[in-house]
This record gives sequence, C-alpha cells and structure tokens, in this order.
Amino acid sequence: MRVKKLLVLCVSAVLAGSMLLAGCSKKEESKTDESLQYVKDNKELILGLDASFPPMGFTDKDQKIVGFDIDMAKEVTKRMGIKLKLQPINWDSKDQELQGKTIDCIWNGLTYSEDRAKEMLCSESYMDNHQVMLVPEKSKIKSLKDIKKQQVGVQKGSTAADAVDKTEELKNAKIVYFGNNVEILNDLGNGCDAAVMDEVVAKYYAKKDPGKFKILNDNLSTEKYVIGFRTGDEKLKTEVENQLKDMKKDGTLAKISKKWFGEDLTTIK
Amino acid sequence: MIDSIIQWFEKLPGIADMLLHNGLDQTLIIFFLTLVFGLTLGLVLALGRMTRFKIIQLPVRFYLLIMRGTPLILQLYGFYFGLNLLLGIRIERTMAAVVAFSLNYAAYFAEIYRSGIQAIPNGQYEAAKVLGFSKAQTFFKIILPQVVKIILPPMGSECMTLVKDTSLAHVIGVMEIYVVAANNMSRSRGMEYLIVAGIFYLIMNMIVSKVFGILEKRMSYYR
Repeated sequence: MRVKKLLVLCVSAVLAGSMLLAGCSKKEESKTDESLQYVKDNKELILGLDASFPPMGFTDKDQKIVGFDIDMAKEVTKRMGIKLKLQPINWDSKDQELQGKTIDCIWNGLTYSEDRAKEMLCSESYMDNHQVMLVPEKSKIKSLKDIKKQQVGVQKGSTAADAVDKTEELKNAKIVYFGNNVEILNDLGNGCDAAVMDEVVAKYYAKKDPGKFKILNDNLSTEKYVIGFRTGDEKLKTEVENQLKDMKKDGTLAKISKKWFGEDLTTIK
Repeated sequence: MIDSIIQWFEKLPGIADMLLHNGLDQTLIIFFLTLVFGLTLGLVLALGRMTRFKIIQLPVRFYLLIMRGTPLILQLYGFYFGLNLLLGIRIERTMAAVVAFSLNYAAYFAEIYRSGIQAIPNGQYEAAKVLGFSKAQTFFKIILPQVVKIILPPMGSECMTLVKDTSLAHVIGVMEIYVVAANNMSRSRGMEYLIVAGIFYLIMNMIVSKVFGILEKRMSYYR
C-alpha cells in the first residue's frame, strides 16, 4: 500500500514538474522579429539536414555534404554575405533542433504538410515532389490497381507514409515501415512487393542500380518541397525567398537544377 | 561470381580508412571520457547507496532507479534537447553525449562496485580495526584493492556494452562511426559500410576484452 502511494506521488510530481517547465518555456517568445539580424550577427546560417537524402543533401565519397539543396543554400548565403554551416541532425528531432536554435533552418527535401506548418514556418515551395511507386523490374504490378494484399514498404514518419494512408487503392495492402529508403530498397523484391518514396530519390536510386527497379507512372500524391524556419522567423524566410527569386531570374537556379536533375525542375516564380 | 566477391572485399580497406578519419574520434572521445567520469562518479554513488544515512541513501537509490530504469536514448534526448528547450542550457553535442553516458553508466558502475564491496567479509574490517587502521585507510588500502579483483569481470562486460552504446549518440547529431557509415550507405546503397562499422566495434571490444584479461591476470596474486 505504502509503495503504491509513493509511486503515485512520484509520478504526479514528475508530471507536475514537466508541465510547469513546459509552461515557462512558452512565455519566452519574443515579439520583435530579429531573425535576419540574428544570422547576420552570427555571420552564418546553420542548415540542419539528415545527410542521407540523395540527391537533395547527402554525404559524398570524400565525406563532404553535397546535393541540390546544399548548392542552392550555398548560393543564397553567398549572396547574403554570410557563411553556410551544415549541421547533420537526427531527422526525428528536427523540430527540437529548430526551437533550441541549434540550427536556423531545415533545408533537405522537406515536404510541406499542414502538420509541419504548425511546428515550423514553411517557405514558399521551390520544387514539386511526387510520391511514386517503385517495383522490382520483373514485377507483375503495372499500376496501383494491381496492389491487392501485397506488402508496400515506406519510410516511417515521412510524407510518403501519409500518402500511402490516403491512397484508396492501397487500403488492403500490408504497409511495412522502415527507418530509411535504403532499407526499403534492400527489402524490395525479397519481402516488400512495392515501395513508395519521393520521385527525386526514386530516380536517383533507379539510376544507381540500372535494371533493378522501375517507377510506375501514376503518382500517389503531389507535394511541395519547402524550407523550414523557426516559427516567427518571417524576416529570415522573406530574405531567403527573395534571394531565390533573384537566382531564378538570373538563371543560377536553372543551372543548379540542371546539374542535379538534368532539367530545371524549380517552381519559384 | 568470384570476381565480384573479390571486388567487394577490395572495397573494405578504403571504407575502413574513411571511418578511421571520420567518426572514430567521436566514438573514442565518448568512450574514454565516459569511463573516466563514470568510474569516478560510480564509486561515489556506491558509497552513497551503502551509507546508513537515509537522507543520502534514498536520493541515490532514486537516481539509480531513474538512470537504470529509463532508456539511454531518452536520456540523451533529455540532456541535449531537454536542457536546451526547458532551461536554455546549450551544451556542445559531443559533450552532451558524454554527460548523458557518464551519468547513466555511473549508475551501473555503482552497483558493480557495491557488489564487490559487499563481497568482502566482515572479518577484514574487524582485523583492520584491531590493527589500528582508520576508516579511510581500511577502505582504500585493504578493501578497495580486493574489490577491484572481484569486480573486473563485470566491469569488462559493462565496458564492452559501452563501446556498442556509443552508437546511440547519433540521435543528438554526434557524427560517430555508425551514422557516418549509415550516411554513406544512403549514397552507395551498399551494406559494406555497416559491415565495416561492425568490424570496428568488434575490434574495439577485442581490445577491451584483452585489456581486462591482462588486468585480471595481474590482479590474480594471493590466489
């Protein structure tokens, strides 16, 4: 009996403590937007990324972080007169990294969703992203309609997982969740019969292993790639957006896009 | 077939060299600093756990329960994001990992110390008292050397676990060898990076195991 009481007391004390602390941290939000001045004072923009997302941001053979997003960000910060610092993070804790100011933005093939817009400030979209289905080269699956009770692999916590949930044709399919896209591809054909992922990523891997996978024609959903900033960092967001617009006008953006995708896929006006 | 296998093996030295220069330093920093801080704090905690004074003993017991009773991965989140978001204390990533690992491993070390200390028969204390040793002298000159002999095997085992657990530090963005290998796997789609990382952990643990073997041999006097 005494042990039980003590346990209840402990649990409630911990709960009360955490609520109190959570309450305190919310009050600290400042009213004036000094986000642009903040990065200018630091003389660097800290870009948070999961360095395992080719071709947007990933680790190359020389252990440098490269990619389409990285080239874009480098040009933007160069024009802003500040440095770009790349900070590899754990993708699951991107919101905490932003709030804790250990990074200034997420710029790594981040797909827009309403849930995400509640946690962070999303920029205008710079590119369209289609969720596509990938099947082994010799698979009998020709379109989404052919999926009955097969296994479909998808990355946990990704917008691909959301797209799968919303697709009527996949209602009876068995959805298997993986930590990253490489794990899915290693399983594809052995366990999974199909996989859903971002089109740019699927194309990157299909090119890497020719003759192993094919991408089906129908899209599950079309989404938008955005840059994520801290809630309230409007000025920084506007500055980055303006720089991107200038880069679109003078053709720099098209050049970067051609380097990675062979064509200009950017949607900035 | 054989050619492709040979080709695959030829890739491994290059990957090993890459991991040596990327990530291994972080893994080793976490391992050695955790040992230094964890072993020291662990001894203090063990003494606190065994004291008669409830005012010290109960908080220590609570600490041991929390540290051993919650996942290390959550404690890592707590020491990095929790401290930063709630209290505004920002620690550098690797140091946050060292703090979390040290506090966690100190709890396990404390219980190993305690098992060793309590294994010493009461007669030893009585004999020391008769011979006029002070309490501190008794502990450091008579008890502790014997304790070290007893606790070496479980300590060795715990250190091997520590080597492998350092890979958890990637959740707060520490670029240790596991995450470096995983990032390279994303680019190349090959499993060989993870295999080489696995071999690294194995080699490190072979060294740990060997060191403890030597220590045990050296400590085997009076047996």
